[in-house]
Amino acid sequence: MLKDQTMSVVVDGSPLKAMQSSHSHTAQSALSAQELSQEIKSFISGVDTVQGRKLSVREHARCAVRLLRSVPACRGVVLEHLRGVYDEHVSAFLHNLETESDASSGVSSNLEDIIQEVHGVLSEFICLNPRAWAPLVSTWAVDLLGQLSSKHAGRRVAPHSSSLNELLQLWMSCAATRSLMEAYSQCLAAMLAWCPDACVDALLDTSVQHSPHFDWVVAHIGSAFPGTIISRVLACGLKDFCSHGAKDQGLIVMVGDKGSRVPKIGSVVGILGHLAVHHSDSIRKELLRMFQESLIPSSPLSPTSSSTSWESSPQLRRAAVPFLLQLAAMSPNLFGAVSAELVELLRPPVLLQLQVLLQGLPREELDNMLGLAVHLISQSPSGGSRVLRFLADTATPASVIISGPTPSPHEGVREGCDRLLQMLLLHLHKLVFNRSDGAEVSSHHPASSQPKRVIPFLEELQSHVSELCAETLRLERKRHLWLHQLLCLLSVYGGPSVATEAFCQLLTQAHNPEELALAWQLHTTLSSCMAGLIPAAITRCVAQIHTHTLGPRQLRQLLLNLAAAIQSQDEERRGAAGVQSSMAIQVGSAVSGHLHDFGPLLLHGDSAVSHATVRLLSCSPLPRASSPAHLLLLSRAAVTHFFMALRRRVEGGKVGRDGGQAGEAVNCSVLLLSRLAAYSPLTLKAVLQQLVEGALHRGNAGLFGGQIADMSGAPLPAPSLSPDIGASLLDINCRFGTIVNFSGSVWSVFHAGVIGKGLKVRTDTPLPDPSGVMQNVQTLLTVVVQCCSSSGLNGSINSSRPPSDPDEPLPINAEAAKVIAVTMVENVCPDVANGELSWPPEEHARTTVERDIHIRRCFEAHPVLFPLLQVVAAGRPALCYCSAVLRGLLATLLAHWEAARETLSTDYPWHLQASCLLVSCMGEGQLLPPVLANVHEAFPHLTPFEVRLLLLAVWEYVRGNGPMPQKFVFSSEKGLFCRDFSRDGDVARYVAPIHSVLHKNIDRLGHLCWRFQL
Amino acid sequence: MGDIRQSLLPRDVLSAAKELLYHLDIYICNMVQSGRQPPQVDSKTQELVEEFILHAPKDRNTPARRMSALQELQLLEIMCSCFQEQSRDTVRQLMFSALFSLQGNQADESRMALLGKLVSMAIAVGRVPILECAATWLQRTHRVYCVRLAQVLVDDYCSMVPGSGPTLQNIHNASPRFCCQFITAVTTLYDLTTEELTPPLELLQMIVSWIQDDPGLVLINFLNTALSGNQPISSLDVTPLGGLVRWCVKAPLAYRRDKKAGLTNGTAEGEPEVGPLFSALHLSVLQVLMLLPNILNEKGLYGCLALLQMESLAALTSDLSRLLDQADKHTHTSSSTDARGLSQLALDRLAQALQVAMANGALLCSREDLRAICSRLPHNNLLQLVLSGPVLYYNNIHTPPLAFSPHAAHSPIASHPTHPAHTPLATHPSSHPQYPAQPFMAGMPFPFRPSH
Repeated sequence: MLKDQTMSVVVDGSPLKAMQSSHSHTAQSALSAQELSQEIKSFISGVDTVQGRKLSVREHARCAVRLLRSVPACRGVVLEHLRGVYDEHVSAFLHNLETESDASSGVSSNLEDIIQEVHGVLSEFICLNPRAWAPLVSTWAVDLLGQLSSKHAGRRVAPHSSSLNELLQLWMSCAATRSLMEAYSQCLAAMLAWCPDACVDALLDTSVQHSPHFDWVVAHIGSAFPGTIISRVLACGLKDFCSHGAKDQGLIVMVGDKGSRVPKIGSVVGILGHLAVHHSDSIRKELLRMFQESLIPSSPLSPTSSSTSWESSPQLRRAAVPFLLQLAAMSPNLFGAVSAELVELLRPPVLLQLQVLLQGLPREELDNMLGLAVHLISQSPSGGSRVLRFLADTATPASVIISGPTPSPHEGVREGCDRLLQMLLLHLHKLVFNRSDGAEVSSHHPASSQPKRVIPFLEELQSHVSELCAETLRLERKRHLWLHQLLCLLSVYGGPSVATEAFCQLLTQAHNPEELALAWQLHTTLSSCMAGLIPAAITRCVAQIHTHTLGPRQLRQLLLNLAAAIQSQDEERRGAAGVQSSMAIQVGSAVSGHLHDFGPLLLHGDSAVSHATVRLLSCSPLPRASSPAHLLLLSRAAVTHFFMALRRRVEGGKVGRDGGQAGEAVNCSVLLLSRLAAYSPLTLKAVLQQLVEGALHRGNAGLFGGQIADMSGAPLPAPSLSPDIGASLLDINCRFGTIVNFSGSVWSVFHAGVIGKGLKVRTDTPLPDPSGVMQNVQTLLTVVVQCCSSSGLNGSINSSRPPSDPDEPLPINAEAAKVIAVTMVENVCPDVANGELSWPPEEHARTTVERDIHIRRCFEAHPVLFPLLQVVAAGRPALCYCSAVLRGLLATLLAHWEAARETLSTDYPWHLQASCLLVSCMGEGQLLPPVLANVHEAFPHLTPFEVRLLLLAVWEYVRGNGPMPQKFVFSSEKGLFCRDFSRDGDVARYVAPIHSVLHKNIDRLGHLCWRFQL
Repeated sequence: MGDIRQSLLPRDVLSAAKELLYHLDIYICNMVQSGRQPPQVDSKTQELVEEFILHAPKDRNTPARRMSALQELQLLEIMCSCFQEQSRDTVRQLMFSALFSLQGNQADESRMALLGKLVSMAIAVGRVPILECAATWLQRTHRVYCVRLAQVLVDDYCSMVPGSGPTLQNIHNASPRFCCQFITAVTTLYDLTTEELTPPLELLQMIVSWIQDDPGLVLINFLNTALSGNQPISSLDVTPLGGLVRWCVKAPLAYRRDKKAGLTNGTAEGEPEVGPLFSALHLSVLQVLMLLPNILNEKGLYGCLALLQMESLAALTSDLSRLLDQADKHTHTSSSTDARGLSQLALDRLAQALQVAMANGALLCSREDLRAICSRLPHNNLLQLVLSGPVLYYNNIHTPPLAFSPHAAHSPIASHPTHPAHTPLATHPSSHPQYPAQPFMAGMPFPFRPSH
């Protein structure tokens, strides 16, 4: 249907062919004056004057072409006539499409050849004399194109004007419009050399007149001549803008009426918008070039000035910046293209030039520009953060101390930026609060809800909240005020999510109280319009913790900040009534709701984090109700952390660095544990149990002076059995007694070494620093005592009654002590057999030798057991539950003293000490009456055998008067359980050996006699 | 005549114009028959023409009616046949001037536009009466407008429509008077100062062939016009001689400049050389000048009428000296022999033209005057001879007549024949003011240069 081969004459731009054909044609049709006269008459009347019949459209057009060739005066009328022909063809073409019939294609092809002919003639003329013909034809073609496209825009087959590509396709498949387009392109190509403005002007005018149906033309032309069209279009727009004056336009745009009064700039925007699809790069370059060249002080011989030479007119140069602003205001596309790089361009020298340029403008124009710029920034969909940073950098006063990324510009520039920034904030403020009003209304009337007004600038900044926060927290002079204000606006704009994020960021990034105060300020501002900010923020922080998005430093800072927030509450309670009271409480309650989420952080690999966590947890209130699982986890973590803290303190003490912090961590940990223990019986139990277990744990034993003894001699299941399948048989055989486990039975076999090689070598671990051990043991005891004495049954720490006498230690809670006791037994005495409370006759002890040895070794390995035993003893009647341990220890001691060959008990310091402690504990725990309990005082002065005698007496007593908890009664006046020994059997018969020993050694023990009076 | 306005108003544009033409025809016929003097249309009629034919806006609040291009063509066609059919020259002439003589108002623009189209069309379709009328119009109208008309025609036939040159060529046969006036206008328009003001080659060829074929063509208006004192001020020259002399003299320098520009562009290939054309033209001009004495004597004007104006010669020499200066500057770098040859050619042609014109009574001045206006020109043997004039042999031995030029001191003695009878200094008391040594302002604007 389309005759591409004929069209190609012009398409491939070979004017030679066209010229040849036309020349031959001219030769044929050299008409005489007479004939020409006839021809004119025929043309005018539309009737063949010779034959007297009506001319067909085709013949008429032929006639016109002949006139065009031979009568110069007729060119205007011929071109006008040809409009009709082209129109006819377009109509036929569209009709064809509409009816989709190929039958009538003859009509269109009829006219198509005439259009080819016309096109050939025109392009020949243009080739021969572009100066004369190009302006004429280009105007004609553009005008006709405009006319055709608007006229036929409503046709059924014509696509909607918005679908530019389809339009382009349609019109380019029509011979008439294609030919016009080509003619125009040819003219343009010719004219660009000498008067580009004229043809672009015509294009713009037509575009205005026939918009939007004409857009396809502009798009096509633009993509054919992108470089020139863009700069020309801009230059035209600038000239027009300059002549119209920029003032009223600014107002129009601000009102929202888009440039209906200013024709050119509207079409400039439209055209550039079309071109932006494929040529956004060159558009951007062109716009930026315009900006830059407008700034260069006018020099008469600018090497870059092209033929447009708008650069040479100072007036136009001055108008360039307002023009670009205006352009940007009207087209988000263009603005988006430019804004990103524009900021990069605004280096100090450029700013100075800009200032010089703008100084010349009248005040109200400047105000308009300022308003426009503010409007633009607030509407900019991308690069907002860069713009903001630039503005803030530039507007920040120069300072010796803080040097921004850019060297400080001129003071005038700085003030300008300052003003711009403030205007921007004001503008955003208006926008945000008007908008939220609307949102409220819509929430009241959901039916009439209108879409929220979007503020692209804020929209974009939402993703930069963290950077904003970081900038704000730098607390530089004015900058943080601006940014803080912006953060508030952003929070209000973005709603709870953004507010939460901002708040979170501030909490995470603040490093000192001043910075943290910004967060409170933000909260104060937002609290009026946003509820539940703090809980949401805390939840968010927790979420961040869970997702590990925070680095250790940030995490630590966050925790510390939260702790500081909660502690401010305490301070406030002490009398300093602050604004933060409600907030601190809120933070506290919010944190308390998430304690179990913070718990795992206690065990964070980074000591700083765990320290911060313990700080937070130790000061945060405990939740009213919490699930046992959470509590158990938390307490487990807390205990583990406690030991970690202890270890760190030891290490820190060695290194000497951050010992203070480690100490503080221990203190916090102690506080946390005691509060946890006080929280509920469950936690109390858990904490104590784990404390004891932890203290006895291999890893922690060293802290408390324990030595990890090689227990392989004890009937513990050998851990190396299963993995050692491949070990040598000899090796296994050497491990005597490991094949068959006789543990617990009478036939237990010791494996204390290979005969002939002496005892097995104990691994010697270096003894830890005794003072450190002392301190650790003290700390542990403090914790345990605090836990036990905090009367956990009474509930939280808040309701604990203050001790009447601070020097008087609180009584140890019996339940708590029982927990310790039970735990100790479990850990020290692995064999549940013979675990009953009541004691058998001493001879029976030989059945439990192995177990007893294990128990003794435990005590040897863990010196901390004795102090714990003392605590248990203090919590009567808990010591009863340690019966098995006591018995085992006592049995081994008896065996030791029996076998001891030295003359003095002091030759066996450990055993002596153990015996003393054991007896004193039993006395404290009221397992023994005072008379018997005091025997330990005599031990150091006795021989081993005598010691054994006394211990045997002790055994005998306990066997006779079993350590039963039910023998204890609660005495309310003491607040303690007490045992009434009078109800037990006569003590006297157990005292006899004591007295014998006294008599034997009366020279040394005289001073102790009174201790053993009944 | 004024009362028909009311009847014209309701008509459409074309028929109103048609009707007015019809009435105008009748009105002028009546006027001629009644023998009223002076035969001129009154201002009422003029207004009607402006309103209904030229469509000048009558006043602010009524928008001017406009014709479509087709209507305009129809009107032109009607005018063509109207003038064609009018048998009486006087009526036709009066009618033409009623339509197209300039009134100095804002209708003149549309008048000129319409005139341009009409003449262009008349050339195309060979309407001799219109061309005759246009020739008269060209004689009476201010040269600015004449030049504009010439410009329109040149654009139409020499640049816009390729292959239409022969049509224009025909005007020589159709209307020699128009052709002559056209040459005058064209030579006035194209003064070879810039590239834009250089005649198109086609036009040049045409003019050369016209004059070669019929040298008398140049003088035809001079012959046909009864020269009275009422020659309109600032109209075109009576003959194109002055313009042609300027062309011939300046051509070597002007075209060299063009050629240089063309060479840098690399587009001057294949262009026919213009040098021979100008040589031929120069010869023709000299021949025409030689024809003059007889004609002038016949008319009794010999020695009374200067066909070459002293002022235009002065302007020419100053232009020429400027061009030569420029050429000197450029020849420092380029091949100087060629350049010097061209300069000498220009000066030779000037000298020849001056001599022949003076000898044939076309230029009325003393040699003193000539020396004054030629004092800035560089040395040229022929010019030296012309300026020194017929010198007696014995006089030469002692002192050269006037040492007006440093080059003159060693000039050879004039040896070419002079007219012993012709002693213009004696017969004519110098009617021209004495020219100062430098009376020309080089930057003086050409007042009717087309403004594009």
